[in-house]
Amino acid sequence: MSVNISEKKGPVVQAKGIHKIFGNMNHVLRGLDLDVGKGETVVILGASGSGKSTLLRCINFLEAPTAGSIEVDGTLIRADAPANEREAKALEIRRKTGMCFQSFNLFPHMTVLENIIEGPRTVLKQNRKEAEEYADELLDWVGLTDKRGEYPSCLSGGQQQRVAIARSLAMKPKVMLFDEPTSALDPELVGEVVEVMERLAADGMTIIAVTHELHFARDVADRVMIMDGGNWVEEGTPEKIFNNPEQERTKRFLAHIL
Amino acid sequence: MGIEVDGAPEQGIPEEADRVLRQIEGRRKKYRRNLLISFAVLITLLVTAMIVLKLDFSFMMKWLPFILAGSGYTFLVSVLAITLACILAVVGALGRMSSNPVFNAVATSYVSLIRGTPLLVQVYMWYLALPQIGKALEELGLHGVQAWLTLPAVPAGILALGVCYGAYMTETVRAGIQSIKIGQTEAAMALGMTRGQTMKRVIFPQALRVIIPPVSNEFIAMIKDSSLVSLMGVWELSYRAVKIGRRHFQSLEMLIMVALIYWLMCILLQFVQERIETHMARGDRRV
Ligand SMILES: Nc1ncnc2c1ncn2[C@@H]1O[C@H](COP(=O)(O)OP(=O)(O)OP(=O)(O)O)[C@@H](O)[C@H]1O
Ligand SMILES: [Mg+2]
Repeated sequence: MSVNISEKKGPVVQAKGIHKIFGNMNHVLRGLDLDVGKGETVVILGASGSGKSTLLRCINFLEAPTAGSIEVDGTLIRADAPANEREAKALEIRRKTGMCFQSFNLFPHMTVLENIIEGPRTVLKQNRKEAEEYADELLDWVGLTDKRGEYPSCLSGGQQQRVAIARSLAMKPKVMLFDEPTSALDPELVGEVVEVMERLAADGMTIIAVTHELHFARDVADRVMIMDGGNWVEEGTPEKIFNNPEQERTKRFLAHIL
Repeated sequence: MGIEVDGAPEQGIPEEADRVLRQIEGRRKKYRRNLLISFAVLITLLVTAMIVLKLDFSFMMKWLPFILAGSGYTFLVSVLAITLACILAVVGALGRMSSNPVFNAVATSYVSLIRGTPLLVQVYMWYLALPQIGKALEELGLHGVQAWLTLPAVPAGILALGVCYGAYMTETVRAGIQSIKIGQTEAAMALGMTRGQTMKRVIFPQALRVIIPPVSNEFIAMIKDSSLVSLMGVWELSYRAVKIGRRHFQSLEMLIMVALIYWLMCILLQFVQERIETHMARGDRRV
């Protein structure tokens, strides 16, 4: 099954000059650019508090950037656009963007199947049959067909995260954002989630992932980007970043996590 | 899970575990038995007390239909008032959390004013003071307003109770909504849901679970507060009991009877609440 249906050429995500300043003049992102091409897998690495989550959340406007512009699959939002226009465009962008959270955030009052069809039914107004058919395909794809009618509380963390991925994919997104999808998991459950992410990448999905799974960064990513203090420090192929980093800060960071 | 306590132990379960499981089951049975005995003793004591006090049961039975007829008012007033209160509470809670300054200020003042004044005063306000406001407005040239604002006792009572309980429940609903983790909102928004869809599909159904027990509490309190409409001369449950009791100098019988009727109504309500809660708990981990 192929989950990526984007037909456009060129970058799927284009962020320009992103600044984010939180309430008390906490300048977290300091003018970041990010271009991600169709089918590309980008892994963002960086110390805790460097702003990785904030950047991901700016891309789908869960957090409104203070300055700069975001374009996802042809929908462009500028930070200084009028509020109502920004809100409408943000909805559009979120519909083209899937996001997986560290803590899964499945809807606990819905079964696995209901979680997956919720977006298509409520947002895309699909009929139940159509939504369920695709949900069943996705469940099969993440290997959880037998959990179809269970509630999330009966699932292991790894299973929950795989359902969360399926829930995002049900919206047929053009890009998937992952914010440390495995860091809340017991070590033995990490593999099953990473494996799903690998297959997603292999199927041609555009992926931006913040993850400390170095194996994923090394073997799956097309590009690794290092962030520090809200700035890019260095970027390149995994080979270059892990074997021949140029920047002193990259070396220090890698020494810390390797 | 699949252990049969009463049958033969399943394969692979050590004898010791089997013994422990039997003990646990035994304790549970004993607890249930003792609970039943305790209730039975309490009820016996209650009935004995009634007999010792030489209650006039035939007198009670004679007036029962008349008193019960008053419970119609109690029921009508309570149900309509709680409906109104629920609507006001949801709107109020959304207002209290709203980023619209006008909506927010109105909701905040509503809660503050109503919670800060006695229900008794509010009841009289709706019944006695509102017509006066109508009169003043009429004199300012608004024709027909006075008639509109002069409310019969029952509607005035429903409005008074509904508006009052709506204010208290606003805070309950708000607390319920705010108890849902921000991650739920974010997950819904990330799917592209609007704020309204997020509230309706994700937040509210979960908040409801938290809200149901305190709202049932409010409902139970309201059933009893509905006796305040008797202040406006409505012949509801407690009013009838007091009247008849005084007239025949048998207040004790009448009051016990009316108390039991209220109690029964509340037990019924509690039963409904438990059913709803069980239904709501369907996403919980089954042990
Ligand atoms: N909603 C918020 N309000 C105020 N400050 C925030 C908010 N969210 C994040 N920050 C601040 O932004 C900074 C960067 O946070 P962010 O979560 O993006 O870091 P991160 O790189 O994802 O770190 P981690 O590896 O720990 O997840 C932190 O100093 C944090 O205090
Ligand atoms: Mg983070």
